[in-house]
Amino acid sequence: MRPWNVVDMKKLINDPFDFVEESLEGFLLAHEDLVKRVGRRAIARIDAPIEGKVGVVIGGGSGHLPAFMGYVGRGGAAAAPIGNIFASPPAKPILEATLAANGGAGVVYSYGNYAGDVMNFDRAAARAKTEHGIDVETVLVTDDVASAPKDQVDRRRGIAGDFFVFKVLAAKAETMADLASVVATTRRANDYTRTVGVGLSACTVPAHGKPTFHLADDELEVGLGVHGEPGIRRSHIEPVDALVDEILGIILADKDYGGSDVAVLVNGLGATPYEELYIMYRRARQVLEGHGVGIRRSYVGEYITSLEMAGASITLMQLDEELHDLLAAPAKCPMFVQMGAARG
Amino acid sequence: MADIDDAAIERMLRRLAQRIESEKDHLCALDSAVGDGDHGVSMTIGMRGLTRNLDELDSPSAAEAFRAGAEAFADDVGAAIGPILEEVFEAAARTLEEHRDLASTATWAAVFEAIARAAQDTGGARPGDKTLVDAWVPAAAAIRSAADAGADLSAGLAGAAEAAWQGVEETTDLVPRLGRASRLGERARGHPDAGATSASIMIEVMRDELGSPGAAS
Repeated sequence: MRPWNVVDMKKLINDPFDFVEESLEGFLLAHEDLVKRVGRRAIARIDAPIEGKVGVVIGGGSGHLPAFMGYVGRGGAAAAPIGNIFASPPAKPILEATLAANGGAGVVYSYGNYAGDVMNFDRAAARAKTEHGIDVETVLVTDDVASAPKDQVDRRRGIAGDFFVFKVLAAKAETMADLASVVATTRRANDYTRTVGVGLSACTVPAHGKPTFHLADDELEVGLGVHGEPGIRRSHIEPVDALVDEILGIILADKDYGGSDVAVLVNGLGATPYEELYIMYRRARQVLEGHGVGIRRSYVGEYITSLEMAGASITLMQLDEELHDLLAAPAKCPMFVQMGAARG
Repeated sequence: MADIDDAAIERMLRRLAQRIESEKDHLCALDSAVGDGDHGVSMTIGMRGLTRNLDELDSPSAAEAFRAGAEAFADDVGAAIGPILEEVFEAAARTLEEHRDLASTATWAAVFEAIARAAQDTGGARPGDKTLVDAWVPAAAAIRSAADAGADLSAGLAGAAEAAWQGVEETTDLVPRLGRASRLGERARGHPDAGATSASIMIEVMRDELGSPGAAS
């Protein structure tokens, strides 16, 4: 007996409406040494809250693992609310995450800039203040160059750049810095970060049962949003080097990283093999070195996905010494583990 | 016409939950053309929560029954539609705490007006932005005129439903200004809005369950 049409959806699931809950259940069991449940749809690192430390809360819809709950842990976020697939969490789990993260030094929310997320996180922040006296600051991630023109940076949505911004934020909080300094550093990380992606195929939200959008077999879309938002250009599939050149051209036209040190992230959206990501990284490296960009840290893999969407994005974050050290700082989270790195 | 009591409101809301779930795929399809295709799913999750909350209440008043919906959308749904529907149900609940004559057209005109305001205040949408506001605002105006003209509830709700569907029709040619749908720009033109459609379904269920004589037998 199947509760859905298997022709539309080939997935390893039970009832589609149990998808989020059952995967959360498994996640908590698998990582019970690192994280704990603090609400029906909220988790926190096992040792949260930490007295005197700024509490870091990241979040968003489900369907993007390792984001967001995979980045809760040591050197990561203190807590994360969990939304339905591709839907912002409601204010209630955000507030539960806030209380779990609150060590008395204020809480920072960071998440991708989407209307639903802003609405729910703002409602939770207001309740945290009025009902619990907790000061909450928000840093929206706005790295997606394709989502709005340069003079409307505030309208840009957040995609893979989430990872760099969250990592810097969490590492800064680990230094026991105060709320204002944590916020200032995190804002700088976001200001320094740009991403452009390319989509090759859609994904299927289980409870919906049909692909979220349609791309023909031989089509790709540059700048396509991770929920199917339209991008800059739709075309036929082409050699990836040309595509990487175009992606980096768009990024460098928006912010010239020439002469700067950067961190590079080549992020897979869920169904693109790591091999292809390394082919992209190789070309990105050639182009960036040719442009006088100094690459100090590189990440290649699946950091923020969209279920089984095929495609990838390239993210650059300009690095100063502080951002470099924060990005390089050790972390042990369920889906991101990093040893303390040597400077370099 | 027949009396409408608290139990009729609960029955109407349960019927609404069933109706929305049966329209899930249709609402998702509409939303796929305009947004990210999850409207039917979000509405179904909220409506399942409403049913669950109603199951836990013993003979809820009309206000309590609507508040069960507010709590479900607040706790279970998220996205932009969660807070907006939370405030829509809450606006109805608050109005029905003051207006206890459930068979009066004026009561429901007040409910519709409160909902139309709440939908605008919470999401920041105005008429013409291709949202549920484009169904609630004309529906509220229609039922208010009916109340002022002394029409009975059956006629008032029928007029409201007609105005709401007319509003849905008019969203077809609009381009969204807010939310994730606004990113689609011109690509969204030519399709009716999913949120306005689910709002009209809600109004239609009210018409069918509360407006027809004998519905609350």
